[in-house]
Amino acid sequence: MKKFIVFISLLLVALFAFSEETITLNLVEAFSSPWRTPTLNKIIEMFETLNPGVKINVISPPYETAYQKINLMVSTEQPLDIVEIGDWNLSTLAAMGKLEDLTPYINSWPEKNDLIDGILEAASIYHNTPYLLPHGLFAKALFYRPDVLKKYGFNDYPKTMKELYDMGKKLTESGKNQYGFAFRGKGYPTSFIDAVVTSFFDDIDPNNMYLTKSGKIVFEDPRAVEALTFYVNIYKDTSPKDSINWGWDEQVNAFVSGITPLLFQDPDTTGMLNEMLKPGQYKTAPLPVGISGKAYPSFGFVGWGIPTYSKHKDLAWKFIKFVSSAEINGYWSKAYGALPILKSVYKYDSYFSSYIFEGWTKMFEDKKHYQFTQYPLDNENWGKWNEFQEKTMQQVLLGKLSVVRCLKEWTDFWKKAGIK
Amino acid sequence: MKHNRFILFMLLPTLLLISFIILYPTISGVLLSFKNYSVFNFGNIKWIGMENFKEIFGDIFYMDVVWNTIKWIFFSVIFQLLFGFILALLMKEPFKGRGLYAGLVFYPWAISGFAIGLIWSWLLNGQFGVINDILIKLGFIKEGFNFLSDPTLAMFSVILVNVWYGIPFFAIMILAALQSIPNSLYEAAEIDGAGYFTKLFKITIPYIKPTLINTILLRVIWVMNFPDIIYGMTRGGPAGSTEILSVKMINTVFYESNYSKAAAHGVIIVLILLIYTIMYLKLTSKKEFSL
Repeated sequence: MKKFIVFISLLLVALFAFSEETITLNLVEAFSSPWRTPTLNKIIEMFETLNPGVKINVISPPYETAYQKINLMVSTEQPLDIVEIGDWNLSTLAAMGKLEDLTPYINSWPEKNDLIDGILEAASIYHNTPYLLPHGLFAKALFYRPDVLKKYGFNDYPKTMKELYDMGKKLTESGKNQYGFAFRGKGYPTSFIDAVVTSFFDDIDPNNMYLTKSGKIVFEDPRAVEALTFYVNIYKDTSPKDSINWGWDEQVNAFVSGITPLLFQDPDTTGMLNEMLKPGQYKTAPLPVGISGKAYPSFGFVGWGIPTYSKHKDLAWKFIKFVSSAEINGYWSKAYGALPILKSVYKYDSYFSSYIFEGWTKMFEDKKHYQFTQYPLDNENWGKWNEFQEKTMQQVLLGKLSVVRCLKEWTDFWKKAGIK
Repeated sequence: MKHNRFILFMLLPTLLLISFIILYPTISGVLLSFKNYSVFNFGNIKWIGMENFKEIFGDIFYMDVVWNTIKWIFFSVIFQLLFGFILALLMKEPFKGRGLYAGLVFYPWAISGFAIGLIWSWLLNGQFGVINDILIKLGFIKEGFNFLSDPTLAMFSVILVNVWYGIPFFAIMILAALQSIPNSLYEAAEIDGAGYFTKLFKITIPYIKPTLINTILLRVIWVMNFPDIIYGMTRGGPAGSTEILSVKMINTVFYESNYSKAAAHGVIIVLILLIYTIMYLKLTSKKEFSL
């Protein structure tokens, strides 16, 4: 018995002495979905295989409340090492002072020079500091269905807002349940409204979607009246009445079924469309330009950050670096549907130069007509604005509020919010 | 006196537990409503007095929300009661397959309100909705109704779904009460020559009155605090036409991430319900139940 106890004791001592301690990193994601989370888990498996002794624990709050959960977790210093941050909550998190400045890490990262132009600047909206490294980009493009357009005698996509309206009107036959445009009435219609309204301007401030270069609020400019009236007409003449109540699900559903063959959407829609439609059944094009000859797509991004209180910052950066490498970023973007952050990915993977990405490629190349513009995301009224804009816009669409009165409400909102 | 102390001592663990799980969150919620606790202020949480309440009552849409809430509660509860009562009367007498029938009738109650909202939002969809499809195929209409995009129809639709959802609860409660009425009362009434409606108004309703009073009281509170169906179907839209107080509270958290303002909405809801409960109980307790 004594011998047995001695043997067990020696075995335990040896185990403690020679075993490597497992380090667990806690990662919280903001955009969990049945499409995306499994891909993230596969990447983590690869990382864990390459780094024995490291384990990554993924926390996936429900998508709808993820921002609030992450904000609370970071503010209360819950054990986290890697945090997924979207452009909409970056300022909030950074303002808490609990995000690590990634400048030293990024500067020593060899693939830094391969980053898409302007992406790091876009991610440095708060105090000019990169508190995150983006892993995906979003910008709205025009999705269209060549098969449906052809039935109505159109061989090409609309290049201007006027063409979009005219085409949409010709496609609309409500008796046949056929319409032109997949309108978005609810669930953050902000970027859709603004893409249309700002296309009537040629002097939008590149740093703020709601200001002209002369510092005037866009909504108090006389051009906004014409622009918003045009927007209302798109709804009235080219879209189903029910679309005042449409969010992403309904928009995409109507596009897939062919009811509305024209759609403004982000690249993450491609993942679903590739599964539901045949190759070539949908294509993408640049956003139509307005009477100004310009369009102002908003540049959204999502990335990884490190909390200041993390005990494993270097290891966390090792993971972020791994995820952001060209191979993994390509794999991730393809599965997820975001635009890759590295230029080389577009070259080595033909998928990103295919017709599916034509809309974005053309917009990125055409700097004369397309100016990627930012929202005042660091303004604390931003969240409130989304609800207010949605509600007042719906009132205009229902005829309960005039275009002029609505624009005055919007102007007052931003003046009160101290936009300038 | 010693006896009372002993009772108090025995109740103490329960009182402490209830205080912890009910009183603490309530007090904490009320205190929160006087602060500036939002995601933008995590580093500077402070007492701001009545600011949140001022902002809420200064909202140009707030009275619309109150009015929507009244409509939502009134029509939902009235029709749930009416149809629940009819259903309970139909199911009172035993018949073949009553168990299966009861299961089918009561099943909506077992599904999550949010899921019901989502399911119905698709069923009532103007373009792809099954209900419009059936109506068109039967030749009743040529184009689909815009159930959820027309403000009047949207309110009607969410109430309709809530009525469908809430009937089983009234039916269960009323059925249980109906089954407790002694048959001898009906037999005696029949001997005296009472007809169906005389029995209904002179025996059935007075006998189950306490159940009705309590069920209505509970349902009004629940329906007011039940944003699930509306949230799943319209999220309060279009243009706020289906936004009730509890949906407004959720939207305050969801869009604004302003927890203190949402807590202020919660405090207002609790105050309204408190006033309603006191008034309701005073009015209904005036007439003692008697046969």
